[in-house]
Amino acid sequence: MTVLSSDLPPFRRADGPDKVTGSGRYTADLSVTGMAYAKLCFAKVAHGRIRRLDVTAARELAGVFAVITADDVPDLLYSPVIPDRRLFARDVVRFEGEVLAAVAAVDAETAERAVSLIDVEIEPLPVVNDLEAALKEDSPLVHEDWESYEATGDTPRDRNVATFSSITKGDAASAMDTADVVVSSRYVADGSHAVPIEPRSVLAQWEGDAVTIWTSSQVPFEARAGVCETLQLPTNRVRVIVPHLGGGFGGKCGFHFEAHVAALAKAAKRPAKLVFSREEEFLAPDRRRESMIVELTTGVTNDGEIVARQGRVLIDNGAYVADAAFFPQLAAMHVGGPYRIPAIELEASLVYTNHQPSGSVRAPTAPQACWAVESHTDELADAVGLDPVEFRRRNIVHTGDEGFAGQVYGEIGLDECLERAAASLAASVAEVPLGSHEATGVAVSWWPSFGVPAGANVKMQEDGSVQIITGAQECGTGAVMTLADIAADELGVEPSDIRIVYQDTAVAPTGPGATGSQTLLNHGRAVEAASRQIADQLRELAAAELEAAAGDIVLADGQAGVAGSPGASLAIADLAASAAQADLLLGSASAPVPEYPTVSAVCVGDQGMAAWLAPQFSCHAVRVAVDPDTGVSRVLEVHAAHDSGTILNPIGAHGQVEGGIVMGIGQALTEGTQLGEGLQRNAGLLEYKLQTIADVPTISTQFVEIDTPNAGPRGSKGLAEAPNVATAAAIANAIRGVIGSSVRTLPMTAERVWSTIEEARV
Amino acid sequence: MTLTIAHTVDDALTAMAQGARPIAGGTDLVVGHRQGKAPLPAQLVAIDRLTELSRVELASDQIRIGSGVTHADLMIDPIVVGRLTAVADAAALVGSPATRNVGTIGGNIMNGSPAMDTGAPLVVLGAEAVLRTETSERRVSLADLWTGPGTVSAQADELCTGLVISTPTTQHGSAYVRLEYRRAMEIAIVGAAASVSFDGDRITSLRVALTAVAPTIREVKGLDDVVDQPSFVGTGGVIVPEVLSRIGSLASQQATPISDLRASDRYRSHVVGVMARRAVDAAARRAAGEEISVPVNRAIGIGAQR
Ligand SMILES: Cc1cc2nc3c(=O)[nH]c(=O)nc-3n(C[C@H](O)[C@H](O)[C@H](O)COP(=O)(O)OP(=O)(O)OC[C@H]3O[C@@H](n4cnc5c(N)ncnc54)[C@H](O)[C@@H]3O)c2cc1C
Repeated sequence: MTVLSSDLPPFRRADGPDKVTGSGRYTADLSVTGMAYAKLCFAKVAHGRIRRLDVTAARELAGVFAVITADDVPDLLYSPVIPDRRLFARDVVRFEGEVLAAVAAVDAETAERAVSLIDVEIEPLPVVNDLEAALKEDSPLVHEDWESYEATGDTPRDRNVATFSSITKGDAASAMDTADVVVSSRYVADGSHAVPIEPRSVLAQWEGDAVTIWTSSQVPFEARAGVCETLQLPTNRVRVIVPHLGGGFGGKCGFHFEAHVAALAKAAKRPAKLVFSREEEFLAPDRRRESMIVELTTGVTNDGEIVARQGRVLIDNGAYVADAAFFPQLAAMHVGGPYRIPAIELEASLVYTNHQPSGSVRAPTAPQACWAVESHTDELADAVGLDPVEFRRRNIVHTGDEGFAGQVYGEIGLDECLERAAASLAASVAEVPLGSHEATGVAVSWWPSFGVPAGANVKMQEDGSVQIITGAQECGTGAVMTLADIAADELGVEPSDIRIVYQDTAVAPTGPGATGSQTLLNHGRAVEAASRQIADQLRELAAAELEAAAGDIVLADGQAGVAGSPGASLAIADLAASAAQADLLLGSASAPVPEYPTVSAVCVGDQGMAAWLAPQFSCHAVRVAVDPDTGVSRVLEVHAAHDSGTILNPIGAHGQVEGGIVMGIGQALTEGTQLGEGLQRNAGLLEYKLQTIADVPTISTQFVEIDTPNAGPRGSKGLAEAPNVATAAAIANAIRGVIGSSVRTLPMTAERVWSTIEEARV
Repeated sequence: MTLTIAHTVDDALTAMAQGARPIAGGTDLVVGHRQGKAPLPAQLVAIDRLTELSRVELASDQIRIGSGVTHADLMIDPIVVGRLTAVADAAALVGSPATRNVGTIGGNIMNGSPAMDTGAPLVVLGAEAVLRTETSERRVSLADLWTGPGTVSAQADELCTGLVISTPTTQHGSAYVRLEYRRAMEIAIVGAAASVSFDGDRITSLRVALTAVAPTIREVKGLDDVVDQPSFVGTGGVIVPEVLSRIGSLASQQATPISDLRASDRYRSHVVGVMARRAVDAAARRAAGEEISVPVNRAIGIGAQR
């Protein structure tokens, strides 16, 4: 490997200058001739029956081109796994962001006026907003006719339980009896948001019977599939293009408003563009981080060995399932944690409520579940008088171990992550001793890699320059940009010779997009394979000219040379020029999906989340200060160690870890959705408090690089979500270290920390 | 909507006499409009180019701060940092660098929010606002200026040209601290300013005012029994803990905060006492000559720079 080693000049992002100079174009920046401005009309009540929805006055307003409702689109239910929702509400609204109608008008102000003229009467229905109460027999149902929904796969459902999963291994109840100490704890995490910097925008333009949709999506192919499904169009008539994307963090995964705008543009007989306000970005998408209740009971021996665990998790699904069907099983895996536990019994339910739907926000379920289980782990360590690092040392999974779900691990580096993060923090504490209101905290975590189909086309042009045509989606991580480095390395050219054509479903082979840490893992394998096809062609051409064996041709520094004979070489550009007159240099590959491991635990409601491909591991160790008079906590240092396999792009990898940590600090301390009767009360950046650059602590990151087979290109695993998992947990343990008791609600706001101190005083 | 750009104070006063509202940095006015709090007025007069309003001047016995001085300038102005340190503490905490670069002290006090950061410091320093029309000029105490959340007693045609403050004597210090959940882009959840003068082991004058715990900035009453008593431990400006506690309790008792998304009333009442204690402590230490850099929130305690 030449290009991809860490001692080379800093990684250059081809999209960087565009983004930092402002010349880059995001969806909201686009306009096309004759374009109308779209605005959606939202329910604004959490649960109710539509008594009247009259759009006459809105349609009659001068400057309005079209107003559409459920009557103007095919009447069908959609969503993966459990189709339970419509584009536009019909009869019942189940959360405040539900779309009632869409307006297209000559300008944004007229569109807004038209929305205000829509005459809506909604008879309130009882709001389901409490996870425990929603499970009771007498609870109102969010979906009266849930039994008629055509769910696919292993999806046990019952009344307000959208999906349920359990993981059982051994006999946890009997094993618990053999424990010396049993600890039970309960934790409650509030919901939170992805908060990408770019509120989403969608622009749709019909030409004949085909529509082009520019959209702020992390997953253009899924967005296309959603449009095709809901508007009943064949795949070939929908083209989705994503201009630059201003972040996503999962909030722009899935299919959202592309079909609304396409249907509206059709009705208006002209292109239509929707641009969300920040408030709409908070209220309407069916992707936000789920609130959660976690109850755990764990038995340990006096020398600190976990013998059994029982656990129950309730997850707030919100009004529609979106992509959350797998959340219970994933949450169950996380409250088990990366530990050797011989007997386990975990159950998790995804509960319908009248809240905004939950969906995959960066490492769905994991930060909250990890916060709960790792707080619980420190309580266990305390109960048997062990240091938290030592307790984990005795129980975490190592290479060759069998995890509690029965997966046997290949070479993994959790133990080294724990040692390295703890040592890095310890060194800092040795240098600068803990202050009077400071403490340290540690947490370990894990996260799966996801292997799915992805393709790539690569071509070398007549001057030796290269184009990669990929379905990968750049959501800001730099992962797509790394594809150029992989191709450059295979082809012996500079990354700057490579241009990436991406984010257009009409030109690129299908791929998962920017979701589930999958970009490099899947698209990287495809680009590598397609580039290799061209490299092979180049070697054949060079071999013929240089009278050497193709296997001896080395492609590097723009030259095709012969191994062992420094003199003999040809410029790759010259080979490309002659190929342009004969056989074109084209590569095209679909990377085979890696094989998933098997599990031995009994999994009810199996969603494939108990068998993890190339699991990633990490440990975060933090130093935190708490102001005992006010409860304000500040994270001073985070020492992270990650096993994400081989690291292909060190600068990008560090960026991912740092970003994940900062997001984790927000979840730990300040970011939480406040609800009242099912309605969000802090849907804006003034009251929903993200961390700012001024709050960022010192972060030190180490990678435990293990060349991992059956995973991503060159032994890599995923990395985008894992850094977001352990931070809040480590902070919780440090706060506990300062104040002496656990803060059992997330985020651990200043007032909650202060109340915990006050309660302990009583 | 019409926007007039004033090049002289008289331009501004003429426009205001004809019904225009002044706009300085626009960080309250424009943002409030976009948040749907209040529509933009039909006529605006921009006063941000009036250099005569953007100066801090020290005369023998009084300091005059022009209403157009930005927070970014206040936090580093030598006169403000040296003599009215609490104002610099407050200015340095406002929003973000962008907010501080355009937001002004005049806009801050005329907007009348109970969460304004420069308000409590100006109260404890005894500032008066100078209000001018085409035909008149008057001085008004801040207690009389603020009439409720977001309302001021100034007439629509009165331009605030600045603030005047009697130059504090030596052996005086002031400080402003506020509760912060994060270290930028924060709105005061509660805050407190203190102004302390001392002589020997006695506090000779003490004023404390509180941010965001009442409809307007609230000055703490009943501090007289603290004054002229032996109150210091040694000579370093360290006030005895009992005295600080007493001040904190008075602040907590006199606060009448609301519960909202940012905090409960109970928590606010408690924390404002903590803030009052810390403000008095920092002010007294500054009075005794200790260098506590601006803002106090970054110099000591949990929010300190590291
Ligand atoms: C992101 C952000 C963060 C913020 N953070 C803080 C903070 O931490 N602390 C804080 O206190 N404030 C904060 N603010 C509020 C605001 O920035 C301050 O109140 C600022 O000082 C207002 O000054 P301005 O010049 O922008 O006022 P403008 O918006 O121009 O004016 C505000 C009001 O005062 C009137 N006015 C302005 N100047 C005069 C004058 N000379 N005479 C008469 N009337 C006048 C205007 O007509 C208007 O009614 C924040 C605002 C934003 C947008």
